[in-house]
Amino acid sequence: MLVGKASPEDYNLHPSQYPWATDLYNQAVRNTWFPHEIALKEDLDDWAKMTEDERHAVEFLVAFFNPAELIVNRSIALGIYPYLKSAECHLYLAKVMWEEANHCVAFEYVLQTFPIDRERAFSLHQNVPSMKAKEDFINKYMKRMTEEELDVTTLEGKRDFIRNLVATNIVMEGIWFYSGFMVALSFRQRNQLRNVGSLVTWVLRDESLHLKFGINLIHNILEENPDMVTPEFAEEIRQIVIEGVNLETAFNKDLFPRGILGLNADYVNQYVQYVADRRLIELGLEKYYNATNPAKWMSTATDVFELVNFFEAQNTNYEVDSGGEKKTKPGQ
Amino acid sequence: MTLTITKRDGQKEAFNADKINRSIERACVGLLDPIGMTTQIATETKLTLYDGITTEEMDAATINAAVQNIKEDIEYDKVAVRLLLKTVYRRVVGEYNHDPAELETKHRVQFSAHIKKHVADGLLDGRMEKSFDLEKLASALKVERDEIFTYAGLSSLFDRYSMRDENQKRIESPQYFFMRIAMGLSYNEKNPTEQAIKFYDRMSRHLYIAGGSTNIGAGTARPALSNCFLLEVHDDMDHIAKSVADVMKISKASGGIGVSITKLRAAGSPLKSSNTVSSGPTPFAKIMDTAIRAVQRGGKKLGALCFYMENWHYDFPEFIDWKHNAGDDYLRMRTANTAVWISDEFMRRVEKGEDWYMFDPKETPDLNELYGQAFSLRYAEYVEMAKAGKMRLVKKVPATEQWHQILTSLQSTSHPWLTWKDPVNLRALNNNTGTIHMSNLCTEICLPQDKDNIAVCNLASLNLAAHIEHKQINWKELETSVRLAVRQLDNLIDINVLPIEEASRSDRENRAVGLGVMGFADALEQLSMSYESPHAWDFADRVFEFISYIAIDESAELAKERGSYNNFKGSGWSFGLVPLDTIERVEKDRGVVIDLPKITKQKRLDWDRLRAKVKGGMRNATLMAVAPNANIGLVAGTTPGIDPRFAQVFSRNKISGKYLDLNHNLVKDLKNMGLWDEVKEHIIEDQGDISRVEGLPAYLKEIYKTAFTTNVYAYIEVAARAQKWVDQALSRNMYLESRDMDDMKNVYMTAWRKGLKTTYYLHMKPRHTAEQSTTNVNKAEMTGKRGFGAIKLAAAGVPLGAVASPVAVNMPSPIEASAPDLVVAQKSESTPAETVRSESGVAEVASVKPAERSVADAPTDPADNPNVCIACQ
Repeated sequence: MLVGKASPEDYNLHPSQYPWATDLYNQAVRNTWFPHEIALKEDLDDWAKMTEDERHAVEFLVAFFNPAELIVNRSIALGIYPYLKSAECHLYLAKVMWEEANHCVAFEYVLQTFPIDRERAFSLHQNVPSMKAKEDFINKYMKRMTEEELDVTTLEGKRDFIRNLVATNIVMEGIWFYSGFMVALSFRQRNQLRNVGSLVTWVLRDESLHLKFGINLIHNILEENPDMVTPEFAEEIRQIVIEGVNLETAFNKDLFPRGILGLNADYVNQYVQYVADRRLIELGLEKYYNATNPAKWMSTATDVFELVNFFEAQNTNYEVDSGGEKKTKPGQ
Repeated sequence: MTLTITKRDGQKEAFNADKINRSIERACVGLLDPIGMTTQIATETKLTLYDGITTEEMDAATINAAVQNIKEDIEYDKVAVRLLLKTVYRRVVGEYNHDPAELETKHRVQFSAHIKKHVADGLLDGRMEKSFDLEKLASALKVERDEIFTYAGLSSLFDRYSMRDENQKRIESPQYFFMRIAMGLSYNEKNPTEQAIKFYDRMSRHLYIAGGSTNIGAGTARPALSNCFLLEVHDDMDHIAKSVADVMKISKASGGIGVSITKLRAAGSPLKSSNTVSSGPTPFAKIMDTAIRAVQRGGKKLGALCFYMENWHYDFPEFIDWKHNAGDDYLRMRTANTAVWISDEFMRRVEKGEDWYMFDPKETPDLNELYGQAFSLRYAEYVEMAKAGKMRLVKKVPATEQWHQILTSLQSTSHPWLTWKDPVNLRALNNNTGTIHMSNLCTEICLPQDKDNIAVCNLASLNLAAHIEHKQINWKELETSVRLAVRQLDNLIDINVLPIEEASRSDRENRAVGLGVMGFADALEQLSMSYESPHAWDFADRVFEFISYIAIDESAELAKERGSYNNFKGSGWSFGLVPLDTIERVEKDRGVVIDLPKITKQKRLDWDRLRAKVKGGMRNATLMAVAPNANIGLVAGTTPGIDPRFAQVFSRNKISGKYLDLNHNLVKDLKNMGLWDEVKEHIIEDQGDISRVEGLPAYLKEIYKTAFTTNVYAYIEVAARAQKWVDQALSRNMYLESRDMDDMKNVYMTAWRKGLKTTYYLHMKPRHTAEQSTTNVNKAEMTGKRGFGAIKLAAAGVPLGAVASPVAVNMPSPIEASAPDLVVAQKSESTPAETVRSESGVAEVASVKPAERSVADAPTDPADNPNVCIACQ
């Protein structure tokens, strides 16, 4: 069982019951990167040439991501990790928490390097109503995780666990973050902020795994606890996702009060709906928005292998654990 | 919402959809589906508009809308090219009334004024006006050749090479650009105008393209035209400081740099002056690593440099870590690259499992100058001295252990590149003036250098693919291209102005040029050969033999006309040697026969005649070097250098932007077969690998492999065949899927045994990439679980293991979604492919996949398909 009170046998990795979590851990280790590998000087030159609206969008996004990464960490530490029995999941979550810290430091690195009014940027998430609303939404679930101890031996406790997971993993990491990534990468697409783009590419690579983990976790828990799977609960989960999309829609209007080249709030929100539909389907629910992907250029940004001229840009494709892998020989 | 547009003069004007539509329509003229394409681009442009958008942003938005559709149909590439050209024409020749004839006239008539204006404002060299009949040149301009470009190529040309005015605005059309290069390399010809037209004709047809620095500097008032510089740093503070300054000056002049630091004494080596010890090469290298970040090469890109070190250096283990992503930043090179300069002695010790010793160059100063057997003998003496305790600083490891360290670092950081000093030196025809201590930034240059000589090479590359006519190489055309390219390169040297005397001297005395080849893989595809087939390798043999023969012959001809290069006496050429003859030297030195067919593949080439001819004189110390052409390959719209097709679709991360690269050859083949629309989504889903796409003929899958599915030994074989004929070297990029260290050791050991001089980047196939955005993604499929989808099934009494479908919850949806079953039924009717499937009696589960893919035919996004199966894939 995934959810429950940890017993002594849960401290053993073997025999592995959830090998997918071990695989995620191994890949996560290979994906290790550090913000200081990227130099930001050229981006500062871009920054000087950008319009007020473009700068506002960048500042707004970084101001959101910076604390958001820490919120995710808190939710993992207090709301997910303690209620899982699986040693494989604990292994992976330990790496995830380091990654979230690393992401926070990466956005911090950008904030500290760019000529941004840092006091203003750091307080945005508390002062802008649409940004605060997103945080409040997450805090509502965080509170249940942290201040009220869940009794995950009960059906309601397990449901609470899933609600929390959907709010932080699916909505926050899986929808809000993805919307932000698309906006950040759109600058890269127009040949601006190429180095911030490299950082975002790394963050996105990590987050893709986090999301994979969350979806695996939800599916496995639902399968292990079939009595949780009722139309009423499905509907409730769906509402959590929809509420998340509504909050993001309001946020994006503040992100783009006007438009910038290639983007405006409606465009981003169509993308949000497109991603949200994908998440619903991944949960086994029906899509809700039937939105098409307006950002066809994302195929260039994320969908295919990237060939990098090393002396032109940071190659973000390398993985660190070389020498460790052996071919599996027949019979092994 | 009402939209207003901010015009160039700051005036606001109401958005006029009709105006945009008409402008897009004009760019679609003559294409297959102009109306459909216009609608698509206009719709997507409108999505991104906002109130107050400027006219320039609107142009960019329209171009972007066309560009993001290239993955659907390469015809959109043409539209994007035309839209981009229009913005440039407007700037260069002024407004024109969308009439091609009017454009042609304006473009021609204004050429002479354009040259005169920029001679006057100091951008161009005075000779550009004085030496030429400008009217005659203008009438040779062919603006219609702008249609040859791909969007990525045109955009790179503008971004990287096109001349700019003081406001950073591009002031050259592509044809003006080619003419500037042609003119800028013809000043000293007897008839500059005639000659410039000949060069222009080649380049404007993309038959060959000059190297990057030449493209930036030719014809301008600052003609620093060389691409490659190779300098060694000597073991004294003054020379280190001078070298830092040299690196900065060379970077400013847009050159790429190779820097050998083998001669720098080791960390811990005594310093006489202060009775302290040296800090070793790392901190000094770090100064250069930082310096190149400060300099914009030719104002257009960051400095680029590669450090070379021999692996017997005491600090070599530290050198291996220079590119590691963790650790002390002051001991890491974040910008510069690294390459190891390996001896045959080391490779033999790896083979035999012997020990490897590392020394302080202060104690072994001659090792860096020796190669082949002479190196081995001296190295053995030092080893004996070390064993006898007579060396101050020594490290010893099993050779296999260091080999393992080099390759593990290569796998995780793509550094250090592996280059072999012995085949480089033993096969050189130009090292009569001294030892070659390194290669360059791209590992294709093999030139000697010392304290007084910074080696310099000047590049241009032939576009093999552009020489294909009716499914064969037009050899006559190719010969003309080779001869003109060599002449153009030779002309360059007398016009070149380099920032450092040691470099100018070396350039003058050696007149080294490197004619390369690009479009090799592109040509193979067009000739229907697989990169990993013996036919392709024989083809490499034939092509490189031919180009090498003509290039050498042309240099010998130029020697007759203009005299030999100063250092000719004593060179391999002066003994009547040609590149093929030098393989024997390596074989003799190694005491093994290199496994390569030594016979000539071009029956009609008389090498004996040429041997006699080169003995009489050569104009250039070197003729060929196959550069990676990552930029000019893009400009010419072909595969760079001898690289394979990276994937059928992939993205190129360039300074000028991020481009989707879609293989036009494949798309054309698939369109001919009527398969393109059916499979295009799947090709992106599989990240440009068509091997698992159903319904494609097997032979296509052979021709169109990706860099990672091609047998890695094919890369070695192609390079080995070409290396027979190329007097310098080739930038051999490697691509590996396997991360098994034994596999990797075999690959690089084979590369050495096959006589390769150098290898370049190792591209590892990523094991994991970020979630795709535009394709159909459902991560739950991998879990094999149904999630909330189980509800509906349970209600319907469907047994476990059956096909899952999403649960319908009673929720009003903003768009009325059809029931999943209904959608499947509709699709069945409309797609014959799927009907065939169900008739063939394949179980229902299997039929879901084609049904899902058939949605890709529809203009809607595949992820819109509600019939997403969770359990069955």
